[in-house]
Amino acid sequence: MPQDRSEDKGEMKKYANFNFICGAVICSLMVLMALVSCFYTPYPSTAMDASLKFARPGLMHIMGCDNYGRDIFSRVMEGIRNTSLIALLTVFIGTLAGVIVGAVCGYFGGLPDEILMRINDLLFSFPSILLALVIISLTGTGTLNVTLALGLAFIPSFARIVRSEVRKQAALDYVQSARILGAGHFRVIFAHILPNIVPVLLSSVMIGFNNAVLAEAGLSYLGIGVQPPEASLGRMLSEAQSYLFTAPWYAVFPGLVIMLMVLGFALLAEGMSEGNG
Amino acid sequence: MLLEVRDLSIEFHDHGIPERVVEHVSFSLDSGEILGIVGESGSGKSMTALAIAGLLPRKKMNKEGSILFEGEDVLTMERKDLRLLQGDEICMIFQEPMTALNPTMRIGRQVEEALRVHHSELDAAARKERALRWLENVGLNDSERVYVSYPHELSGGMRQRVMIAAAMVGGPKLLIADEPTTALDVTVQAQVISLLKRLNKEERVAILFISHDLSLIQQISTDVCVMQKGRIVEQGSVEHIFERPENDYTKRLIAAVPRVEL
Ligand SMILES: Nc1ncnc2c1ncn2[C@@H]1O[C@H](COP(=O)(O)OP(=O)(O)O)[C@@H](O)[C@H]1O
Ligand SMILES: [Mg+2]
Repeated sequence: MPQDRSEDKGEMKKYANFNFICGAVICSLMVLMALVSCFYTPYPSTAMDASLKFARPGLMHIMGCDNYGRDIFSRVMEGIRNTSLIALLTVFIGTLAGVIVGAVCGYFGGLPDEILMRINDLLFSFPSILLALVIISLTGTGTLNVTLALGLAFIPSFARIVRSEVRKQAALDYVQSARILGAGHFRVIFAHILPNIVPVLLSSVMIGFNNAVLAEAGLSYLGIGVQPPEASLGRMLSEAQSYLFTAPWYAVFPGLVIMLMVLGFALLAEGMSEGNG
Repeated sequence: MLLEVRDLSIEFHDHGIPERVVEHVSFSLDSGEILGIVGESGSGKSMTALAIAGLLPRKKMNKEGSILFEGEDVLTMERKDLRLLQGDEICMIFQEPMTALNPTMRIGRQVEEALRVHHSELDAAARKERALRWLENVGLNDSERVYVSYPHELSGGMRQRVMIAAAMVGGPKLLIADEPTTALDVTVQAQVISLLKRLNKEERVAILFISHDLSLIQQISTDVCVMQKGRIVEQGSVEHIFERPENDYTKRLIAAVPRVEL
């Protein structure tokens, strides 16, 4: 019945808003922690204190201390900053290159499109973390290399999304209108079509950001990402695994924060895409 | 002669077998005149229009004959020369005002597009002034508000007026109107027709008016080409064609025109 359906829709909208609000709250919390960590952490994140080795979570150290007696909360704050910085840069590289390649391929089509997209398919068939590993094996480890490698590995998926969206848009009448007013191809692509794919792009950027967080954590867990003594969430997890039973909080808190971070952005992306209909 | 289409044929060859959608079409249009093209859906009217506007892809289709705009062939001219014509000398409005405007761009920017492309000497204020003047000239009185609106905030008739303003802002010599009123309801249709007639008179812009409805052509133009299956089957003054149609197809089109009984 029509009435039921409209009610359904209202319900959906509420739900979408709920997603969005939860996501926004979690994400702002993360951003806040990352920002604050730039100038303040409760304790210096690399300060060791043998007497505090494996101190339990308490009033002084709300997440406890690790095997060197470092304050886990301070390190988590810094870890959020490092991890999201790498993820942000990764997504930036992936999006920038992906948009250029995808838009040009989608708009012009033809043989170059065919070739680039086959290469893209080939790259796409590897998990991006594997691709990143291959690139890192060529460039060496370190924060910068890892960021670049992840960024490159993320290009195919963005290119693919942008290409299909641009193809859809290019068939619409407003593109013809712009062309007949004398706008050149590149003006049509970047000034006329691109703003129309921003909503889709935005939610894939969010999902991409999450994948990048997980990929960075994975790489750091494997010891390739952020180098000690700097903190990264993935690295903390990997260090914590030897003490899983003696000091479970060492693993639990960074793990929880990774989960929250990913959840927050996923909710935000979900809420946004539902809001867009 | 402003526009002279000579023996134009258009052939698709993107699905293996070539498909002729326009065959040996010839007509001409003097500056400041209005010419109607009538024909049922699928008769190749839009293809002809797009060819004149230089909007057909260069590679995927075969084109024969010539389209002379002020003596220069649109089909063979350099891409950059073509772009100098588009928006400045030749303009086009489309059937669906819903989709012909960019949904994420404010009306003002879209009306200014031709100025941005062709008149880089104008600054933002001059562009805005011209755009506002044109919005008013096409009958959008609340021009300041329309200027900052998005397409979805306007009605179909208003959008078609915006399209006309965007087309006219560069002061073109030829306006191609491909079924500009088909998506509109009858009263708005009549308004758009009289607007086009006024622009033709005041701005001296030649209009190629395309429609599947002979009665609309009758309202705007004195000359008409009748198209069927990619060919022009009859050509002449509307009056003459109404009185003494020679072609069966034309007779059917005339029969389809609703008579107003008083
Ligand atoms: N991309 C295409 N490939 C093949 N044939 C096409 C294509 N687009 C249009 N046509 C054909 O071209 C013919 C003329 O179309 P069109 O000019 O749009 O007709 P009209 O505007 O008179 O309704 C139609 O028969 C249509 O099927
Ligand atoms: Mg048509």
